[in-house]
Parts: sequence; structure tokens; C-alpha cells
Amino acid sequence: MARDGETVLEAARRAGVKIPSLCHHPDLMPSEGICRLCLIKTNNSKGLVPSCQTQVCPDLEVITDDEEIIKTRKVNLELLWADHAGKCAQCAKNGNCELQRLAQEYDVDEFKFVPRRNELLSDDELDMLKNNWIHTVYDDANPCIVRDSQYCVECRRCIRVCRDIQSIGALEMNYRSSMTNVGTPYEMPLDCIFCGQCANLCPTAAIVEKDETELLLKAINDPQIIVVAQVDSSIKFTFGELLGCQVGTNSIEKIVSFLKTLGCDYVFDSSALANLAVVEEAEEFIGRIRKGGPFPMLTSWCPSWIILIEKYYPELIANLSSCKSLQQMMGVLIKSYFAYRKKFNSKTIFSVSVTPCTSKKYEVRRSDHKSGDIADVDLVITVRELGRLLRRKVIDVEKLPQLDFDPALGISTGGGLLFDRSGSLAEETIKTVVERLTGKKISLIDWTDSKEKNVKEATVVLANQELKICIINGIKNTRPIIQKIISGKSDYHFIEVMACPDGCVGGGGQPLPSDRAVRLKRIEAIKAWEEKSRLKKANEDPVVNTLYHEFLFKPGSKIAKKYLHTSYVNRNEALLKTLYKP
Amino acid sequence: MKLITKNWGEIDPLNIKAYQNKSGYLALKKVLREMSPTDVIEEIKKSGLQGRGGAGCPVFLKWEAATAEKLQDKYYIVNLDESEPGTFKDRAIVDNNPHLIVEGMTIGAYAIGAKKGIIYINGHYVKQAEILRLVLEQAAEKEFIGKSIMGSAFDFEITVFSGAGAYICGEETALINSLEGKRGEPRLRPPYPAKEGLFGKPTVINNAETVANIPFIINRGAKCFNNIGSQKSPGTKLFCITGSVKNPGVHEAPLGTTPQELIFNSVYGGGLREGKDFLFAQIGGSSGRLINRSKLDYPLVFGDQDLPIGSGAIFVADTLCDIKEHLLSWAGFFHRESCGKCVPCREGTYRLWEIAKRLKNKDLRPRDSENIEDILWVLERSTFCPLGKFAATAWRDALAMFKDKIFK
Repeated sequence: MARDGETVLEAARRAGVKIPSLCHHPDLMPSEGICRLCLIKTNNSKGLVPSCQTQVCPDLEVITDDEEIIKTRKVNLELLWADHAGKCAQCAKNGNCELQRLAQEYDVDEFKFVPRRNELLSDDELDMLKNNWIHTVYDDANPCIVRDSQYCVECRRCIRVCRDIQSIGALEMNYRSSMTNVGTPYEMPLDCIFCGQCANLCPTAAIVEKDETELLLKAINDPQIIVVAQVDSSIKFTFGELLGCQVGTNSIEKIVSFLKTLGCDYVFDSSALANLAVVEEAEEFIGRIRKGGPFPMLTSWCPSWIILIEKYYPELIANLSSCKSLQQMMGVLIKSYFAYRKKFNSKTIFSVSVTPCTSKKYEVRRSDHKSGDIADVDLVITVRELGRLLRRKVIDVEKLPQLDFDPALGISTGGGLLFDRSGSLAEETIKTVVERLTGKKISLIDWTDSKEKNVKEATVVLANQELKICIINGIKNTRPIIQKIISGKSDYHFIEVMACPDGCVGGGGQPLPSDRAVRLKRIEAIKAWEEKSRLKKANEDPVVNTLYHEFLFKPGSKIAKKYLHTSYVNRNEALLKTLYKP
Repeated sequence: MKLITKNWGEIDPLNIKAYQNKSGYLALKKVLREMSPTDVIEEIKKSGLQGRGGAGCPVFLKWEAATAEKLQDKYYIVNLDESEPGTFKDRAIVDNNPHLIVEGMTIGAYAIGAKKGIIYINGHYVKQAEILRLVLEQAAEKEFIGKSIMGSAFDFEITVFSGAGAYICGEETALINSLEGKRGEPRLRPPYPAKEGLFGKPTVINNAETVANIPFIINRGAKCFNNIGSQKSPGTKLFCITGSVKNPGVHEAPLGTTPQELIFNSVYGGGLREGKDFLFAQIGGSSGRLINRSKLDYPLVFGDQDLPIGSGAIFVADTLCDIKEHLLSWAGFFHRESCGKCVPCREGTYRLWEIAKRLKNKDLRPRDSENIEDILWVLERSTFCPLGKFAATAWRDALAMFKDKIFK
């Protein structure tokens, strides 16, 4: 049964009828109709029409496959493949590529429009092949995302997600005719917030997360190096997708076994530090309440959000929380407390974090995230890179022993609190603050939809004031609130921001596909797990108690500030200088 | 019968008085003093005027659609992008009697209720853009455009916007994108420009030659216009005749005239040059169909499915021509001018051009002739906009007419 206002493409796919497309994506509606793979025939129109543009209506008759349609799709795919013929073996998306899947479905001859190697006869042809290569752009100047335009099929999904969903607009089409390619203004190196949504939506390998698996293997293979891995938010529920599990399967044991078998010496759950992080965050927020500002306090766990503030809204740096992210806190404590307890030399520890996030590769390189020349975290590996390791190492994860996380920092596996879904940090911090200031224990925070799109807000009551808090996912949704803060009209006290749509479950390094339907299933699974687990409060949590007792002294202490807090840099002027070079 | 080319050569384009002496701006005066916008549309409807850009759509339809919109801000755009190869009639109008365009578009704007007008001119027409700017200054001085035109309540401002030389920007929606500062790529339709056009406002886009006909229709009446030309297509057309003819150039002739008359009649093309024999003619520019001797008596009108008149360009080729040169020229043109948005056109025109180069160098490969068929197949039926079909038309006709010459 078709829904009102649906296109034929959506209705067909829901009914299980395969209509191919490259430029269509359920998160980017309405479709643009430019790949021309979804063409069908209807009784309402002449010739072939795009099914992504045809609205369903009563008495509509549709032909999705006949000789003419199939031939048209095949030839169009062969035209696209002419630029990709022979490149699969070395490609990052080999085996995982939408273009390859279509080639199989339509029996494509990828060399139809280009000479095979034994057919290369004339200098002209070599020139033509060379020309194809000369016009490609390879951009790996940033630590997070690699662009290789030779693989681009010009579906424009990356442009649309960056402009319409994230409101950043770092990518656009350059040139015209057969030279048309996705690129940046004046082909400058990509300089955005590195949220990786473009990499999530690219059907081929034109935009991919940077592959740093070699660095991990190098550390693992060095007998002198102790590899300590931490598994960051939400991976516990998405790693399984790489193994073909259903979306939302709890894959804690699988990921620990895999990392241990790969060669990691210790595997910690980043969330084991969750209560500690909440204590530090709450301490800082209480400080602000006592001082009367600056409000709102903005969370600082999302590196893309930090980059946005530093580059484009430096006047809000004073509002940012000084807390490091959970990953960085764990990293610095591994290199200090854990090393000390285990009598390891910090220089021999290789701290790697497995994340769903591309911009964390930027975060670990920040100059304020190291002590001397010992970085808090040495390497960030996204889940998708783990997927590549899975294929390369041919480890049969099903046969591995069921293993649980090592006690974090040698202490314990933590309080069971998860920070895997967005909103948890804000909730737990506010609950802690209210309890400390009023003695009242809140069990549930009543989130309501604010009048701004996709912003959830709540109010809690203290002795002599109300605190307004909100959670925002997706950079586009932050813009109206930012404007209010800058013009002094915001009445929020605490704002949690995660740059990716639906929070870290939609991170730039998550397994693909990662569209809205998948993200909602992941969130459901996390919520179900939270309800089942027995949560320890901070004062019952051995991790919190041990660390303060033995190392950090007390929340907000000088030592806590040295290790667990950071500062920010105004990058706006530097950005303007690169844009307006004389 | 000269409607547009009347007095060409006698009117100094940079002297508005010369135009006024030849009944210039009398139509505008009549419209503002005696006619309501509805009257104007009715007159254009009765005249049967069709769009002269190539589509041949009855002009009154677009005007009625725009008038039906209640929004106050409307745009009237004159399409002077003129990039079809072998077409230079709009340029000739600006060189010889530019005020026709200004008067015509002001009347059109009055009819639909537009306050802002834009002449979108081909970026290569630098001299013509200069002429138009001077012409607009003079017209404004005499209050033929601007605020309270001729003392009436009608305001209308015109600006000249130079394109950057892209064929695809002659297509309505690509033209609008170009004006909005975006890539010159066509948009999906619906919505149509008359409802949602430039900056989302109701917009009417008419070709420069279409607009140049309007003063005559107002001055002499719809019936008079309707009596000229053919019943299917009233009025005259500026045919741009090029190639191996004795008198190449712009020739105005009634619609319904045949290629035989246009090419061989001494009033128009004057026949093939000394020692040359007719081989084929291409009607409508590089996107047009080819005709051999058998179709010379076919009347040229708008809306004909078998022989579209297109821009009215007529290119005449003689028996000494190398058809492969033409194939390469057509393929090269469409490859250059493809906007790059959709797969079949972006990749198809590129691969067709590669094959055309090999064809010219007598270097055809075994898979090439099958590939030509497949590329023409997708271009004809699966592109985002009609440019794909245009790219395939001449090739199809050439392959049908000259298969032996091509694959010898």
C-alpha cells in the first residue's frame, strides 16, 4: 500500500521491488533525479521518467523492468564504469561499494567504453587515459577524511548532506561537462568540521575515512609496545553490523575478542569513566552557577562542535566546558595513573581508541592534548577501519572466546552507565548538580520539544533558580540557538551538542548503511540495554572513588584540571588568512 | 514581408530618435493609454504568436500562467543567450534595431504585471551588451522605461545580465539558476517558471526575436499578424542561412516558407556557390535535423514533429564536405556544452566525442560502431533535459543518410 505523497521509488522499495539509484538517499529528500538509473514507464507519461520524481496516485500503472528500461540502465552504468574500470583491487571500498553491486545486478561490462589493456594501440588513447588521471584531485591534507575524485560518480549526496543537513557547505560541484567533479572552492584542501557525514553517504570511495590501520598493526607487532585500546561510545552496539548481525545487536564480547586476538594487550570500555566525567562536568557547572556564568555552558565532547566554535564562533569559546572528552580523559589516565599502577613506562604505551567518529582523528592531534610529547591518545580507529582489518586478517569472530572488557585502568569495569546515546551527558550532569545543590534525587528528566527544530529541552528547579538545559543533534539545528546566544537572548544554562544527526550513533565512522532508520534502531537497542543494566551511582563507583582517592584528590582539583581539562584556540583569524591570501 | 527587419540599415541603434521616427514606442503608448493587461494578452493570443527560441510554445500561455499568480514581485526576462551554432539573429536585432526588444519587453511586462526586467545576453556578445546598456539609458531618459512610464502608473526597470557563454543557459531553468548565481544546470519541472521562477517568483522568459514581434502586433493588430505566414505558425521568422550559399546571413521570411525557397531563391540564400552542389541542409542549428533533396519542399513551421524549425538556422552543406568533420564538430559541441549533471549526457557526450575523433582519424575500433548506437540510445531517452536528445539528432540522421561514407 503506497503512502500519500510518496514517490514510486520509495513505494517500490518498501514493497521489495528493486529500482536502482545512486543519487537517491532516504535522508536526503526530495531526490534530485540526476543519476537516471531509476527511470520507469508509467501510463501517465511518455517515454522514461524518473521514479524518484513520480508521485504515486490512484490508477497509476508502472513498469519497472522491461527490455528498454534494462538496456538503458545497463548502458548508463557502463558509461559510469568507464572511469572505474580496472581500479577495484586497490580501492578502499572494494567489496563494499554501491557501484560494484549495481555492476553485478546489471551484468555490466566495465571496459565497454574504454580500451582494454591489449587494445591500447595509439598514442591518442594513452593520452585519453592520462587525461582522465590529470583531472583527478587527491586530498588527504586533513587527518580525518580522504577525497579521491577519480572514484566520484557525481551523485551529489555529499554536497547535499553537508549543505542541507549539516549547514556547513564545504563541498560543491566544480567544472562542467565531463570534467564535473565534487570539490572544494578553488580546489583548496578540505577545511571543514570533519564530521564525516559525506563519507557516510558516498556510494564509492571518492570520500572515505582516513585509513590508519597500519599504525595500529605496527604498534601491535612491536613486542616492546603495550597496546591499550578503549572502545568509545556506541561501538558496543554497532560493531556487530560489520559481522552481518542485526542492527542494534550487543556486540561487546565480539569486539573485545577481536581486539584481543588482533593483539591489543588491554581493552577498556570508555564508558567505565562515565561517572568520573559526570562528576568533573557537574563540578565545573556548579562553579558557573555560583559565579553566575558564563551561560550557557556548552559541552565539549564533540570534536566537530569544538572545531565549529573555534573556527566560526570564537566569541563562544568562553562558554565551552573545559572538560576533555571521555576518550581523552581515559587516554590521559592510561598514560599516567594506569602506567604508574602497572609500573609501565608511559613512553611504551600505545593508546588507541576505537570510535564511530572521524573528527576524533583531529582531536587526538590537538597540541593541548598531550603532556610533554606524550599524547593522551595515540591513534583513533573508526569502526569501518576495523571492518577492513576484519576482512584482511580473516579472523573468524564467531569462533573466538567470549571475553568481557578488562577492568578500566585496572580498577573495575565501571558503573554500567552508558554514554552511547546523545543526551546522556546532559541528563547525568544535571541530575548530579541538582542532587548536590538541593539534596533531591531526580530519576527522570522530562524532555520536551523546543520550538526550534530538533532541539529537546528541559527545566529543573534549584533552591532559588530554574535551570534550562537542551540537547541538540546535527549542526544545522544549532544555528538558531547560536544566534540567540551571541545576541544575548538565550535563556539556556547548559547545552549538549553532538554534531552528527541523531548523535554519535550517526557518526562519520559507523558501519554503513547509517541512514535514519538504522540510527533509530541503534538508539532503541542502547535504551533497552540501559534499562536492563544495574547502574551504580558515582559514590558507589569504584572507578570514581579510587581515582579521586589515589590520584586526583577531589573534583576540580589542580591535578584534575591538569589532566582532565583543556583549553581552546581561536582559529577564526587563521582561517580567514588562508581564504584571503594576497 | 518585413516585420522585424524593416528599416534595418536605416536606423542608428544608438539614436533613439531614429527609432521614434519610424513609429518607435507608439505601440507602448497605445498599450499604456488604451489597453489593460488583459487586453494585451488577448491580442497576443489572437495573433497566434509562438516562441521564436525553438520551442514554439504559444506566447499567451506563459503570460496567462504568470498573470494568474497573485504574488506582487514578477520578472520578465528576455532570453538573448543565443548559443545555438549557426544562429545569430538576436545579435542582428541588437545591432540593427535594439529598441524593438526594449519596447516589446516593456509591453510584455505590463501584460503580466512585472516590475523588473532582465535581458540575459550571451557572455560573448560584449559589443551588443554595450549597445543595449546605452539603449536603456536613452529609453529611460525619455521615460519609456523606469518609474511612471509615459506618465502612467506602470513602473518597469530593465537590467542587462551577461552570461558566461554556456549553451545550456539558454534553457529556461538553467538561465534562472545562472541569474541566481548558481551553476547553470537545468531544474526539474514542475514547478514551471511562470509559477515559481527567478528567486521563487513568477517569471516569464521570452526569446529576443519573439519579443521583437510584439510592437508590430500591437500597432497593426493581431489579425494582420495572423494573416502573414502559415495557419499553423503566423508571422515571419528570422532564418540564419549559412554554409555554401551565395548570400549567407539573416533573412526574414514568412513561416511556412520551404528550405527550397530559403536556400535557392535569390531573395534569400541565392543558391549554392559557384561550382558547388547541394548535399544536405541542417535545420535549426547543431541540434537540428538533416534534410536531403527529398525534404526541400517541406514548409517550415513551429510544432512540426518531423522537421522541427528550431532556432531557424539553416546550414547548407555541399557534396565536397567531409561528413566526419561535421560529426566531430557536433559531438565536440555537445560534449563541451553538457552541464555535467546527469550520467547519460555527461559521460555519453564525452565517449561519443572520443569515438568521433577516432572516426575522423580513420582509427575506428571494433566496438565503436555498437557503442555509437548505445550512446545515442541513452541520449535519446534518459537524459535530465532535452540537450541529450539534441546531441543525438544530427548523428542519427547522418548515420541514416551517409552510413557508407562514414564507415568506409
